[in-house]
Amino acid sequence: MGGYGDVKLLNDDGSRLDGRSIDESRPIEIKAGVIPAADGSAWVKHGLNEVVCAVYGPMEAHPRKIQLQDQAVIDVRYNMAPFSTSDRIRPGFNRRSREISKVTAEAFASTVMVERYPRSKIRIEIEILSAEAGTRCAGLTAASVALADAGIPMRGMIVGVASGKVEDTVVLDLDKAEDNYGQADLPMGIMPTTGEIAFMQMDGDLSMEELQQAMDYNFAAAAEMHDIMEAALRARYEGGDE
Amino acid sequence: MASQVVPQLLRQHLANLAADDERISGRGQWQGREIELEVDCLYNADGSAKVVWGDTIVYVGVKFELREPYSDRPTSGSLMCGAELRPVAHRKYEPGPPSPESIELGRVVDRGIRESGCIDMDALCIVPGESAWMVIIDIHVISDCGNIFDAAGLAAIAALRNATVPAARYDVGEDYKLAVALTPIICTFTRVGGRYVYDADEEEELGGAERLSITLGDNGNMHSMQKGLKGTFTAAELSEILDVCATRCGELRELVDSKVE
Amino acid sequence: MKGNQKGAEPRLVIPGEVISDHANLNPGCGIIKSTDGHIATLLGTLNNNDGTLHVQPINATYMPRSGDLVIGYVEAVLSNLWFLDVAGPFNALLPMSLAPWKVEFGDARNHMDVGEAVLARAQEVDESHSVVCTMKGVGLRKISDGRIVSIPVQQIPNLRGENGATIQSIKEASDCRIIVAENGRVWIDGDAAGIRMAVKAIDMITRTGHRSGLESRLAACLAGGEA
Repeated sequence: MGGYGDVKLLNDDGSRLDGRSIDESRPIEIKAGVIPAADGSAWVKHGLNEVVCAVYGPMEAHPRKIQLQDQAVIDVRYNMAPFSTSDRIRPGFNRRSREISKVTAEAFASTVMVERYPRSKIRIEIEILSAEAGTRCAGLTAASVALADAGIPMRGMIVGVASGKVEDTVVLDLDKAEDNYGQADLPMGIMPTTGEIAFMQMDGDLSMEELQQAMDYNFAAAAEMHDIMEAALRARYEGGDE
Repeated sequence: MASQVVPQLLRQHLANLAADDERISGRGQWQGREIELEVDCLYNADGSAKVVWGDTIVYVGVKFELREPYSDRPTSGSLMCGAELRPVAHRKYEPGPPSPESIELGRVVDRGIRESGCIDMDALCIVPGESAWMVIIDIHVISDCGNIFDAAGLAAIAALRNATVPAARYDVGEDYKLAVALTPIICTFTRVGGRYVYDADEEEELGGAERLSITLGDNGNMHSMQKGLKGTFTAAELSEILDVCATRCGELRELVDSKVE
Repeated sequence: MKGNQKGAEPRLVIPGEVISDHANLNPGCGIIKSTDGHIATLLGTLNNNDGTLHVQPINATYMPRSGDLVIGYVEAVLSNLWFLDVAGPFNALLPMSLAPWKVEFGDARNHMDVGEAVLARAQEVDESHSVVCTMKGVGLRKISDGRIVSIPVQQIPNLRGENGATIQSIKEASDCRIIVAENGRVWIDGDAAGIRMAVKAIDMITRTGHRSGLESRLAACLAGGEA
């Protein structure tokens, strides 16, 4: 968090620069089954973020040393396409994407019924096509839909949501400017059906009260987004002729 | 790339079909799959295109960077075209540094665009010897169900043709449309069941042999050719392919024209 | 789909969905029990099968079970065994002692090479999904003619139909021998026109088998009309 105090992020009437109210999410669109080559897949557009996710497996875990004898390995790759940001990113793994991949994998290892598939791996490939703050959350959401689409059993679907703080005000779902110039960011992966939290990161500066407010926003947003995820899965299988 | 076992029955079946002038998909020998082309679809790219080619999906994003020109060409901008065959696109792709397959794809598309002369490299120079635009084309394959070369080539030229040079972002004037004078188009032919077909799908690639990729310019001249994979071909086969290629390139060029001003 | 409440539309559930109205039923495949009631763990349709609540998955990976008839492709050969790709997460083993031929040590490749197909049976599947296949048994053999197509495993019941009626009508109309293996691979043997007809019918069923009106679509398809 930059915490530049002189950048104005809230209008005088309390609304945000893009016109949203403080507890309003950016628009979200989700489609299931967008990658024919994959076992399961999803596409998420969250504000200006665009993410696709493919799931492959369960398959034999290679190399053998990564195999677990009593459960499947969740193998996540979060990758930003070179053209996904305003300055081109050199292709390849970097420290940031490695960290996000690790904690995302651990989130799904806690919800997927990994004990069903010893010695196997389930590959989750998250590709960020357009990044405007909030891609790790969009990736979590896309991966949940892709896992369901692939027929991977899990206790529930994780929803990626974030709240943060700008101008000493807690707001839901930071956009690019708010992320760059705000005071805190709290991305979470929430399973609305059980109320559990499978993913959490935070940076910036939050008081106890602000944390509580941010979590309340996140839980409410997760429940709403869960409905959209469900609708995407239903549309794929209950829809018309395809 | 993980190797895939080729079922002998598939080979046999493809040969039987070829003998009857048929294909698994029911297509004709020179008939391609359906194509959807969308341009200007990636928010942060300076030029972009998405091609859905049958079940194959490729995104291309174009970005510009200001660089010092190469010392042997101080008054020229430059072009770079790279491809990533990431594990998202098929279970056969593995993570890691760019595979030979990725590099080949990027370079074949690169040559077709570069050699066609569709971009005036000198026009990309801002201060000779000091700064010039580098045009960077990134090919991102999302779903590989056969013939990624043609899908990538089509997306690349379509993305270039709707690219905007981000001069304002770099404080060197106002944004302007990149001038792309020509539309090089790539067509790929694969030996399946002993004979060549246009636009092989996943099963045909698995059970097929070598492929020939040819890029033709607006005037029908060749700008890049590549023979890939195991197998050989004859001069007579190449000449038949070139005839088909000319027609098909014309159709695809019209498709690009219809999507970009 | 059979097993559903008669007359009711199949109910699609998603992973994590709480199913509050069947508390008296035992949890089956794709269902776990919690304090709130049953919870679905899979995307699929809800099925009540003799007091057990299942989710019939929309999409699934084949998981071998012992006794399954499978069609495998030889993926590798050692001097005394074959590795078979049976469309599951792991390759299955076919030791030379379970081959239908008398195989000398080091001679396995001469009987069956990489890329060849076999009709085999999963003889043993252990807890970690290791599979040993056998080719000893009636009808088990190397497949060297015809075509093999793959279908999603969850579509197998649709392809077979009530008491095997659907597959039987395809066999009769196409005059082909058709074997539907449990791992979603279907072997079709006959003349070229028959194979083409059968493949078309199978493809139609796997694409639209979950929707009503399958019987008339199949009849049209087998009569040569468009599916």
